[in-house]
Amino acid sequence: MISIKARNQIDVWIAKYPKDRQSSAVMQALKIVQAENENILSASTIQEVADYLDMSGIAVQEVATFYENYNYKKVGKYVIRFCHNISCMLNGADDLIKHIENKLGVKTGEVTLDGLISVKKVECLGACVGAPMFQINEEYFENLTVDKIDKIVDNLK
Amino acid sequence: MIDININGNIVSAKAGEMLIVVADRENISVPRFCYHKKLSVVSSCRICLVDVEGAIKPQPACSTPVVHGMKVQTQNVKTKNSQKSVMEFLLINHPLDCPICDQGGECELQDVAVKYGSDISSFSEGKRVVTDSDIGVLIQTDMTRCIHCTRCVRFGVEIAGIMEMGGTGRGENLKIEPFLEQGIQSELSGNMIDICPVGALTSKPFKYELRSWQMNSIPSIARHDLVGSNLLVQPYKGKVKRVVSADNDLVNEIWISDRDRFSYESLTHKNRLLKPQIKVQGRWNQVSWEVALDYAVKGLNSHILNHQKADQLGGLVSNTATMEEFYLFKKILTEVGCDNIDYRLNVKNLDNTIILDSNIKLDALEKIDYALIIGTNIRLEQPMINHRLRKATKKGADVDVLNVMVFDFNYSLHTENIIAPNKIAFILAGVLKSIMINNGQELPDYLIAINVDEMAKNIAYKVLNSDSSVIILGEHIINNVDASTIANLVTKIAQSTNSRTLNLSITANAIAANLVGCVPQNSGMNVNTMLASDMRGFILLDIYPQYNFHHLGAAIKAFEKDDTFVISLNSFKDDIVVGYSDVILPIASIYETSGTHLNINNDMQSYIAAVKAPNEVKPAWKVLKVMADLLELPGFNYEDSTQVLTEISYQSHVSHTHDINGNLASYHNGISVIWQNSPYSIDAVLRHSRTLQKTKIGQMNNAYMNQTSAKALKVSVGDKYLGVFVVITDAVADNCVFINTNQTINIQGQA
Amino acid sequence: MNEVCFKNLTKDQCWSLKVYEDSGGYSAWRKILKGELTPEQIIDELKLSGLRGRGGAGFPTGLKWSFMPRHSNGQKYVVCNSDEGEPGTCKDRDILRFNPHAVIEGMAIGGFVMNASVGYNYIRGEFMEPFKRFEGALEEAYKVGLLGQNINNSSINFDLYTHLGAGAYICGEETALLESIEGKKGQPRFKPPFPANVGLFGKPTTINNTESFASVPEILRCGGQWFADIGVENSGGCKLFSVSGHVTNPANFEVPMGISFKDLLDMAGGMRDGTKLKAVIPGGSSTPVLTAETVMNMTMDYDGIEKAGSMLGAGSVIIMNESTCMVEVLTRLAHFYYDESCGQCTPCREGTGWLYRVLKRIIDGNGRQGDVDLLLSIQNKIMGNTICALGDAAATPVESFLRNFRKEFEYYIKYRKSMVKG
Repeated sequence: MISIKARNQIDVWIAKYPKDRQSSAVMQALKIVQAENENILSASTIQEVADYLDMSGIAVQEVATFYENYNYKKVGKYVIRFCHNISCMLNGADDLIKHIENKLGVKTGEVTLDGLISVKKVECLGACVGAPMFQINEEYFENLTVDKIDKIVDNLK
Repeated sequence: MIDININGNIVSAKAGEMLIVVADRENISVPRFCYHKKLSVVSSCRICLVDVEGAIKPQPACSTPVVHGMKVQTQNVKTKNSQKSVMEFLLINHPLDCPICDQGGECELQDVAVKYGSDISSFSEGKRVVTDSDIGVLIQTDMTRCIHCTRCVRFGVEIAGIMEMGGTGRGENLKIEPFLEQGIQSELSGNMIDICPVGALTSKPFKYELRSWQMNSIPSIARHDLVGSNLLVQPYKGKVKRVVSADNDLVNEIWISDRDRFSYESLTHKNRLLKPQIKVQGRWNQVSWEVALDYAVKGLNSHILNHQKADQLGGLVSNTATMEEFYLFKKILTEVGCDNIDYRLNVKNLDNTIILDSNIKLDALEKIDYALIIGTNIRLEQPMINHRLRKATKKGADVDVLNVMVFDFNYSLHTENIIAPNKIAFILAGVLKSIMINNGQELPDYLIAINVDEMAKNIAYKVLNSDSSVIILGEHIINNVDASTIANLVTKIAQSTNSRTLNLSITANAIAANLVGCVPQNSGMNVNTMLASDMRGFILLDIYPQYNFHHLGAAIKAFEKDDTFVISLNSFKDDIVVGYSDVILPIASIYETSGTHLNINNDMQSYIAAVKAPNEVKPAWKVLKVMADLLELPGFNYEDSTQVLTEISYQSHVSHTHDINGNLASYHNGISVIWQNSPYSIDAVLRHSRTLQKTKIGQMNNAYMNQTSAKALKVSVGDKYLGVFVVITDAVADNCVFINTNQTINIQGQA
Repeated sequence: MNEVCFKNLTKDQCWSLKVYEDSGGYSAWRKILKGELTPEQIIDELKLSGLRGRGGAGFPTGLKWSFMPRHSNGQKYVVCNSDEGEPGTCKDRDILRFNPHAVIEGMAIGGFVMNASVGYNYIRGEFMEPFKRFEGALEEAYKVGLLGQNINNSSINFDLYTHLGAGAYICGEETALLESIEGKKGQPRFKPPFPANVGLFGKPTTINNTESFASVPEILRCGGQWFADIGVENSGGCKLFSVSGHVTNPANFEVPMGISFKDLLDMAGGMRDGTKLKAVIPGGSSTPVLTAETVMNMTMDYDGIEKAGSMLGAGSVIIMNESTCMVEVLTRLAHFYYDESCGQCTPCREGTGWLYRVLKRIIDGNGRQGDVDLLLSIQNKIMGNTICALGDAAATPVESFLRNFRKEFEYYIKYRKSMVKG
């Protein structure tokens, strides 16, 4: 069941769109519901979102699988999304990704044993003049170095 | 009109129409995969790219509107290069499994590949493999073959009115699939097989049966509903292997219901009757036709005709027969001096019947701006008619519903009014009163005391304020205590508002039965009178009492009587039929006989036999003809069924004689039971269609009622009511049990 | 430098309403609310200014706005495209973070000109900081009565909302963006019909880039001629260039159109550690790569870059030094388009994966003779055959990398290692 709190949050988005266009809120509804379910979308949560927005399950599934920001596999409490596109690559992102993999003992796409951190290679995050960079949950970290990464990651609890 | 130039030839076109439409009209070949004339244009497959002068890039013919003076090349190097490029891309991930693909020979990809493809591919990477999910019993998927044209997705959204297939993921991981394991449940789902240009969606019952070119395609007509959808029946070595749709814009466009598509499977059911049989001294013997017919005719003579007791002979026929069969059946009875004939087997009280014209054609239905639907789960009961209405709603038509239960509509309704069966006449009387007051007409007595409530007012307002409206009366009203009143009110409302009417209380070939005269004339008995009388004999055509009769107990009792001689003509074995018959004659089923179906448009659609009936099975019209000959009746010298047809001059055998009685305001008490055979159990052919029976629609078997009714009937969830599982839901009106079942009518319950 | 969108960049709390208004912000909007500016006047000023779409296509903004059927009945929309995601591009993020009110004012003006009472700003899902800034600015603007219904009794209505993306580069394509706002997959629509006639929710819609909208208020305040004079012929005003890659100080620079590439490189502190320039992608990953020789005399404006053989695009200048392996870079770019293809139309869905796989094979040391020609032939089959520009965007780098650096690819195939890195 979608919680009352989540429904209220979704309703804020629905209110932005014309009457009967509540499906416009589907992307945020999925995000909100995902946040309430250990950052994972399941078939039943997708169906709940569909029901809440009066959409067919498959229409929501289409959206949920088209956009990057939804998860189907377990992710960490902190998701490090490491940009590996051109500007970051030119500035050594590949080595830094290797560094973070070694440091955490996981490969990209995996979660640390304690469930705290997962690392993902992603495409351009639009902060190319701050390359190399990554995003942890909502926050951007730019001009990364080995030292900087160590400090940031060590502070994650 | 404008002129455009295609390949150097000037052709005229309407400004703004798409180039591919013009090319198709001019028979200029442009390949296409995603484009489909009945679906929205997405322009995504890119195979229809053509060279348009002035455009740097090649333009998709499917989505390029024509303008005056446009110059188009559909064959030059630029066009060919684009089309070849697209073809190569489509083929790199397409499996090379044509030899085992059921689409082989009728594959649009294969056809275009032959024209535009290259023998050698420069692609040497691994090919994509897509895992399949089971999407149901009717459609076989092999999504590795999918070329992502999204015709099936658009079909769901735009035609079936329910989005079942979708494209998940993105890029080359785009996968066409339904949501999870829900599978496909639409009553029109099989059309996805027809429109899939490749072998991604194929017919599951047809899987690995044959190559398409091994079969003939014989035009035929669907016989399960009032539409008479046009079909192609595809037999091989005398057996129907597949049925696909045929185009007829005035009837079914290019779509057919799953019911019409998959019912052919019944033809090979193990319960087919294959030999004539007669019961001699209580024991059944399989005999030759000569012996059987001789026995039948002698029986008729000795029990009835020799005693000049033709008035104690009854003729009952189901609505599934052909027009020619109805006619011959009636003619035999008339010739022997018998007027006891009826096809209205499921009507409880024939003094209270629905008499209502249908005066709107199928293609006009989609142009209405308002519909009032009364007493039908129209989507499942008449799928193709519902499809036309859905199209009307897409163009803005409003639909109000008066039903006893909430049904699953695939369009949004203006209002959905769920009311008890015994209040429907009330509401309609209110509607009529409101309309007549508005029109300044003098009110008849029976309306004076009627209360016009909000619901009636709203409906009246809508009927009055629409330019082209239709009022649809469905099967759930047949046995309503006010059935004839309701029909008459509908007629009067329509007359007062210039509305059209559509009578969906009958189905299959009932319109033909009615017009040919399979209802009693003069002093003839109707079905219920026959069942209650002391009859000496019956001729029963395609009758399975446990599914056909409202008064089932009375029917069996009447047929079973020791001195009653019963001749049954059936296609399938049936224990109950065996129990009461003296002669059972095996008759041809659908696609095995020639005949004529009369649809709601009044189109007389004739068809030929696509296959020969198995073994010693004969078409019913021939059996009737030979019986007539043996009875030495004159005028049965037919050599084929078309000669029968030319002789038929039909006229309406029912007239609007009922007056609305003054009892309207009386309140009928008690709980009404509406017994509705589920959509895939309305006739013997469907009941023997293996795969249809496995679908969700085929499995329907519930008695729906609300809490109050359940209490009154002392049943709860898990119980059976009249032999059917009880479902307690607010979706049903008060004082009503709505039964939708694939089961036989419960004898005790109906007694 | 920094005269328009970045005018207040160095000021404390530069994103606040106060800083914005102190520097003349909302003066154009207030004039409109007082009835002192007509839509025609605004369109004329924009035409005069030479402002061209800053999202990459470079279509003249004034002309675009004049296409809207502003007198037609019914709802109309303005939409801002802040779905920034083309590799190398990161200017809109800074506009949203540091000057959100300019975007709001620009959109409000657009709404007025096109008689659209509702606007949506589509911000990419990862941009949470810019999203919050923009939402904060919206709140401020509503609070002081600059947005809403019957604003300041002007009988002008304008409601502005943000729509957040969820991770899909293709939503930067304007019709995919509209689909996305409608709660669907971000698949581009085929055109015609164009959004100006059938756009968001089927209504006439104008879509402009963040930088384009943010430039409008200043143009109206200082005049179209003033803006045009900043730049050069055919490229009015100034432009934000995101300079990234192997430079000493990568950053966003708002500079006059027509500035020389050399000067821009100097602004970014020149080549990092004194390395030698090898190649430049001047307008974002989908624009053709240029060699060091070609860029040295290039000016940074639409015509100047086109003359050099590429496109200004979104002004995303990616600098590569001699240590760069072009095979690696192209493989990374090919992966990007492969990953971001929406999958709708055949050449892009099938072709981007093919391109990437061949390149990956080369990088993995499994290149074959003929692969270079194969890549050229694949990109040629994509080019021009797709619904939207992503197909061409995927094909363009392949063509230009192979044209300019073919030897590196042939070396990699032959020796199974990088010519640059060994």
